[in-house]
Amino acid sequence: MAKRVIIVDDSRAVIATAELALEEMINTGVIEFKSYLNPMDLLGALQSGSENYDLLISDVNMPQLNGLDLARAIKADERYKNKPLIILTTESSNDLKMVGKEIGVTGWMVKPFSDEKLVKSLKMILGV
Amino acid sequence: MDKLRLLIVDDADDNRLVLKAICRKSEDFEIKEAVDGVEALEMTESWQPHIILMDIMMPKMDGFEASKIIKQRYPDIVIMVVTAVLDSRVQDNMSAIGVDVYIHKPIDRELIRYKLQSVGASIRLKTGNFRHLSTKKALNPFNSDIRFFRTFFEIMDTESMMDFGMWLYDKYSAKPTTMVSQFDKVIETFYMLMSQGHKNGDAMSIIIEESYEEFYITIKFDIAIEIDAKLSEMLQEFGEQVIVQGDIVCMRLNLPQESKSIAKETILHEQKVSHANINPLEIKSQAIEEKPQEEKPKVQIFTPTKEIRVIDSEEKVLLHQSFVNKTSAVDYVSELGGDVVNEILDLSSIDEEWEGILGVIEKNPSEENLIYFADAVLNVYVRAINNLFEFTALAYALSSLSVFIKSSAIIISQDKDKIKMLIMLLEHLGKDLTSWREHIFILQDTADIHYVDSSFFSSCMQIEAIINDKHIDADDDNDMEFF
Repeated sequence: MAKRVIIVDDSRAVIATAELALEEMINTGVIEFKSYLNPMDLLGALQSGSENYDLLISDVNMPQLNGLDLARAIKADERYKNKPLIILTTESSNDLKMVGKEIGVTGWMVKPFSDEKLVKSLKMILGV
Repeated sequence: MDKLRLLIVDDADDNRLVLKAICRKSEDFEIKEAVDGVEALEMTESWQPHIILMDIMMPKMDGFEASKIIKQRYPDIVIMVVTAVLDSRVQDNMSAIGVDVYIHKPIDRELIRYKLQSVGASIRLKTGNFRHLSTKKALNPFNSDIRFFRTFFEIMDTESMMDFGMWLYDKYSAKPTTMVSQFDKVIETFYMLMSQGHKNGDAMSIIIEESYEEFYITIKFDIAIEIDAKLSEMLQEFGEQVIVQGDIVCMRLNLPQESKSIAKETILHEQKVSHANINPLEIKSQAIEEKPQEEKPKVQIFTPTKEIRVIDSEEKVLLHQSFVNKTSAVDYVSELGGDVVNEILDLSSIDEEWEGILGVIEKNPSEENLIYFADAVLNVYVRAINNLFEFTALAYALSSLSVFIKSSAIIISQDKDKIKMLIMLLEHLGKDLTSWREHIFILQDTADIHYVDSSFFSSCMQIEAIINDKHIDADDDNDMEFF
């Protein structure tokens, strides 16, 4: 069954480039891809139980809610506590990475990203 | 002579800006600009530049005409033509005029810096000024600070490939050498490399770097070549003597012992390779001291699936700039002058234009329409954002994207898939810009205005890489870091 991958990023261009990078995995039915521009929408959907995922990719700097705060809220929920969540951001400071680590995010990838590296990491995390 | 005088001739403001940024870094140049061929002639008369970077398509007088007149009057001035079109007709024209170096558009920053460095070193050598020569960084990945003399070839066609082989053969066969038995293999391998690279119709540069002890041949391709099984096998045979790295293939050939003395003798004499089809810039730096050989690195042969778009240090700074203080949109807008804010708000008219022109490009994906998009939309954005000191990365990103689209317009316009993808990505980027304007200047609802500046830059870089069919790579910086 296809693994459900969600990306949350306020930039449409980032979502589009990520979708292009994952095109093959999407087309071959390895993953299904869903995107959210507003982290609040995603959080609402997850909390109400209308959304679910096998892997979540989140930006950090978003106007409505910081990606690390989003991760903290999700990781506090028993339903999603053990699900992989990776951060995809231009931020590369060690301080922020430490915050991510403490919250329990799975990995940190710096933008602009390499298609190959993103695909490789996803395959590794999802075991596909 | 402390600084070399460099004249940049291009009618497009942003092209000059980009070239200037590149040139400032590469050599100690005094830089002036001209906007067309006529102004270039005037400046040449009054200022006597050493090097001219010349665009071809310009109003009033084009680059051909200007180069021709300048070369007639001042044959010593090095003219480097910057062009996207390099067919045999253009090439013949330029060779006849006496143009020294061609630079492909889209511009490869690293290569242009490298060429400028080489030309600069050559001029200093001719004028007896060696001040900077010992500090040059080599291109070969084996030993970056070899005290070298350097020869530079531009390979344009099969004939010039043959000539390079002859040159290399002559250089070796004239001397009793320990490499003779291996030499045929070397030549054969290089022919294979060059002909595979040339199948795509791409130009390539060959850079020979040598000291008394070391000898490196580096081929730098405009586009990474595909190394097939046979070629890979040939390369493997050289073991640690070959490194394949992105768009560079470098072979290390130690200079034969016997030729050391010859190398020393010839070092202060100009050697010219005289053949019309080859454009060697014979450059010899002063070999000041011998360097101990570095430990040989492990062989790194791999077949890149795509060429790599490397992120340079200047870009890294912009991407990962950190703002110590958070500035809320409300505070920021209230501190900005009304005129500046109005100019940004006026950009809403550009949104319609943005969509409209993309619609036109979809129907008629011509080079002109792509260039028009860059000029009438992207550059308008750039001018407005240039007034906002807090958004340097965004201004830089959009201006680079504009330059990229303009310089690649002819190639993109001929590729349906690329056009489709570019339109899709630009549509998304346009919406992102609209939303950026809303959050910061209209709704003023963000706690920190910097939330998106670097992200735009990253997106523009990503778009450029996708359209160029390249992989983004910043060494290990963009590896996934697992916690």
